[in-house]
Amino acid sequence: MIPLVGQLLQTDSELSMIIQTLFSLAFIVYIFYAQRIQTLQMLRQVEVTLRKVKSIRDEGRETAIKTINDLGKPGKDVSADVDRFMDHFVISPIDMDPAGVVWKLKQILDTREDVWEYEVKNIAPNASESERNNIENLLEASMALNIYYKVVRHYYLLGKKTMNIYVIMQIHMILPMLMQEIEAYSSALQAFQEGMPVGDSVGAIVAGKLMHGYPNKEVAKETIAAEVPFEGRMLIVMKARGPGGSVGEPGEAIRNILDKKKGKVKIIITVDAAGKLEGEAVGSVAEGVGAAIGGPGVDKYQMEETAKKYDVPLHAVAIKEGIEHVVSPLVDPLFDGVDKAVEAVKRTVLNYTQEGDTVLVAGIGNTVGVAQ
Amino acid sequence: MGESGGDRGAQMTSMSQSWFGLALIMIIGVLALISLYMGFQSYGTDNQDIAYMYMLIGATGFAAIGYMFFRTKAVTVQQKTDVTRVNVVTTLECPKCNLKRVRDFQRGDYVFKDDEPCTRCDGKMMITRIAQKKEEAGKKQPTEL
Repeated sequence: MIPLVGQLLQTDSELSMIIQTLFSLAFIVYIFYAQRIQTLQMLRQVEVTLRKVKSIRDEGRETAIKTINDLGKPGKDVSADVDRFMDHFVISPIDMDPAGVVWKLKQILDTREDVWEYEVKNIAPNASESERNNIENLLEASMALNIYYKVVRHYYLLGKKTMNIYVIMQIHMILPMLMQEIEAYSSALQAFQEGMPVGDSVGAIVAGKLMHGYPNKEVAKETIAAEVPFEGRMLIVMKARGPGGSVGEPGEAIRNILDKKKGKVKIIITVDAAGKLEGEAVGSVAEGVGAAIGGPGVDKYQMEETAKKYDVPLHAVAIKEGIEHVVSPLVDPLFDGVDKAVEAVKRTVLNYTQEGDTVLVAGIGNTVGVAQ
Repeated sequence: MGESGGDRGAQMTSMSQSWFGLALIMIIGVLALISLYMGFQSYGTDNQDIAYMYMLIGATGFAAIGYMFFRTKAVTVQQKTDVTRVNVVTTLECPKCNLKRVRDFQRGDYVFKDDEPCTRCDGKMMITRIAQKKEEAGKKQPTEL
């Protein structure tokens, strides 16, 4: 071995000639095929990811079928129904004339909700309402995984067909972020299958902590509220009805409550999970103003409209979490964040209201695995 | 849970497979290099045919290494279990005597559920927390700066 290494250092030795030849060959190949090699490398990486996404998608489908069979006892093969579900789509309304587009979107989303409820009832006739809600959420997660798979596959095959580096680069550049989202949905499968609370449930848990032990009534579809006395004030605490997976209709609920109270509400406090930036601690709590709610925007619009109509200030409490936490089973720092958020709500009530005032507290988010 | 044990098993298998692949690539690389070396040594002598043969074997060896790098990566990923399943525990608390108990999550558990009688007093224990086991959740925490 040592003589070989020694030969490498001599410029006229046979070994150094071999190395030089190899380097020269590699250089010539690189001059002509650099972009093609890069394209092939990127295609390979996309292919590896695609295989991974496919196996997660298949697992999602299998989990959905297994859960429907376990809980719904349909007495028939539901594979075809699940496959049909996984290709279900929603067409957004046209927004060239944006006036009234929110209500058009609401109507489409309500129709989607009705269709899903009907279909799930059909394929899981023996499941309870909570279980049906969880099955709906599970199917939604499986559907999302299916869409991710189909999009990645589309770009992979298009790239392979055209061998165009710019087509492949489009998907290659966003692969890490895509994988983060896909992995988040893959952990959602376990949560919705078993009915465990997820990261998005923190708002519902905060509301649950405030209203637990008080009688509640339905104020909108799948949304309940309870009157809770606190330091001489009356808190109207609302959340989606649990423990089945549902987000309720908080926009509609706030409108109904304020209409009923004729606007006599001092402040509205919304509590929800919020996306954290890298470096921020999971479960940290931030306070602000505005309507803390995500989703397609219909509920947020309704909340803001109602608040404006009755001139009620909107306060917000956000519990920070990463994208990987949103639909995964909860982690302890988020539960600690829930306690901090309860304190933040109480502090806001004491700071901005007087004794005798009424305050509306809305716990926003999916209430899977959380009762009231 | 069994699933995570299975994950570890799958990981170990894929790790040993990747080590095996790497060792194979190393061996082929060394043999290809030796073959090229011998080819160049024979070049210019009377054994011109043998020199070409050695060089061809060496070049084929290097081409095979390039191909294997692509293949082993794809096969390793294909055999891995990709869906993450975590261990989740349920925390129960007695509102009367504050007794706390932690057990594995069972289907049907939900937060604020009055679950089982307290073992210390006559109260009923309520589920207060359903969360991932601490060591698993801890792995995902980012480094704070």
